[in-house]
Amino acid sequence: MTAMEVARPEPLAGGAAAQTPRLTVTNVSKAFRVRHGVNQPSSLLQVLKNVSFEAYQNEIVSLIGESGCGKTTLLRIIQGLIRHDAGQLAVEGRAVRGPGRDRGFVFQQPSLLPWRTARENVEFGLELLRMPAPERERRARDLLELVGLGHASEQFPHQLSGGMQQRVGLARALAIEPALLLMDEPFSALDAQTREVLQKELLRIQAETHKTIIFVTHDLDEALYLSDRIIVLGAKPGRVKEIIKVPFGSERPELPLLRGDPQFQELRARIWQLISNQTTH
Amino acid sequence: MTLSTNVEDAADETELEELGQKSARKHYWLVRAVSIVTVLLLWEVAGRQVSPLFMSYPSAIAAAAVQLAASGELGEAFLSSMQTLTLGFVLASIAGVLLGLLIGRYRYVDAASDWLVNALYSTPLVAITPLVILWFGLGFSAKLFIVFILAIFPVLINTASGVRNVSSQLIDVGNAFAASEREIFVKVILPASLPYMMTGIRLGIGRAIIGMVVAEFFTAITGLGAMIIKYGNQFDTAAMFVPIICLMLMGVVYTAIAIRFERWVAPWRYTEDE
Ligand SMILES: Nc1ncnc2c1ncn2[C@@H]1O[C@H](COP(=O)(O)OP(=O)(O)O)[C@@H](O)[C@H]1O
Ligand SMILES: [Mg+2]
Repeated sequence: MTAMEVARPEPLAGGAAAQTPRLTVTNVSKAFRVRHGVNQPSSLLQVLKNVSFEAYQNEIVSLIGESGCGKTTLLRIIQGLIRHDAGQLAVEGRAVRGPGRDRGFVFQQPSLLPWRTARENVEFGLELLRMPAPERERRARDLLELVGLGHASEQFPHQLSGGMQQRVGLARALAIEPALLLMDEPFSALDAQTREVLQKELLRIQAETHKTIIFVTHDLDEALYLSDRIIVLGAKPGRVKEIIKVPFGSERPELPLLRGDPQFQELRARIWQLISNQTTH
Repeated sequence: MTLSTNVEDAADETELEELGQKSARKHYWLVRAVSIVTVLLLWEVAGRQVSPLFMSYPSAIAAAAVQLAASGELGEAFLSSMQTLTLGFVLASIAGVLLGLLIGRYRYVDAASDWLVNALYSTPLVAITPLVILWFGLGFSAKLFIVFILAIFPVLINTASGVRNVSSQLIDVGNAFAASEREIFVKVILPASLPYMMTGIRLGIGRAIIGMVVAEFFTAITGLGAMIIKYGNQFDTAAMFVPIICLMLMGVVYTAIAIRFERWVAPWRYTEDE
């Protein structure tokens, strides 16, 4: 198997056939009705066309593509926040019919409730699950500990830096123990240094929790560093161009070191070409 | 770990900033005090040049205040006014918040009522005082009604716009966690619109005081407004200024309390000003 090997959704090695995917996306399409001016007739904008892929347990799958190619739309469809026009989606074999607590969502903007402390924000989903208060609080504290914010549990969002807010957002999504974690460019608004710290932290947290993560990004290095597989999306309409298996194992070196790896550079150049060169298929 | 050092750095910075701000704030207070004393002195000097019929000055007003307080007249008027104001204002706040929530949440309620709300809010409602007195007589209930009708609109309008303007990002959080519509209303929309309610309440105070004074002018039996009319008719300008200054203090104190409360309710909105 070479690093360049490109495959359709590739089942995990071994008895993968027996394993149900955590997420199955089959031929999902979506068009938005858009109006270009006040008195203009509306037209359909095809944002996603026949998107198919799978994600298995313990896997980080990145969705990468240029800005506006429909990454957020796809992720929101998976979360059930937007209805798709055609195709099927299933989480652990169950068809997606709307938002559900089997999926946790981390937004591009931290979107914390400003009147709640970090801990109370993490408790949000647990309250909806009707978990008793003492247990809720214990769980929230544990999760803040996990994301490295044990000391800041009683701080309000406006007292936290952007990186810390995003950690709270991650803890909030993890609190409901979702089968699937959906992250929409969660580190894109952070400075480079904080971003690298959080990328590393995400790998550690994933190793501890064995979550399946769908990670949207437009940053090639980030995708290569974090993912087991990268789904390259083309634009207009958004569609799967290629699915690339990332050959670095679970014990991968840190990003600055990884950048020196020839395999890394080769893959990076290949994906870059795929994304920037829209005409070739 | 890198994280904890980051946190400590941030704490140090805010402390430094706060120290700088504190000394700056002290200077502002000094400037303010000098300005107050200067204005009072100028008033005193200029006021003494004019016939006491047309204008009074601070020392005369202070003397009148002592006299009116000693006779008990001021205290009685003050209490009477406070009663009208507080009850009318509290009722207006409660009703304004409830109606505002309804209007903000249900488009149909909004469509049915927005023309009326806008019309009534734009009308200088003190104009209907004579009519209100016809309905309720010269007693407490007429004054209460006028305070209520003036104070309710800012509360109602701000509450409704607070409900409508909750950021869609926060609503999305509720939706993403599969919250029901009711849960989103209680856990997201309500707390998010609380600061707007407080702003409406603060704006309502000024109008409530105006309503109270105008109602007392018309009924002219009790309260600070009645006192102004009484001493105005007697051409006792110094004594007339005493209730006016009381009203000013009432407005200042109430508004200051409301601003404090607004900040306490929504501290995240006030992190960068001043
Ligand atoms: N609610 C919507 N209504 C109309 N057009 C939309 C809507 N949401 C997204 N779009 C359009 O769909 C395209 C994809 O958007 P998005 O999924 O946000 O892209 P990405 O996250 O990859 O940058 C963009 O052209 C955007 O303008
Ligand atoms: Mg996006």
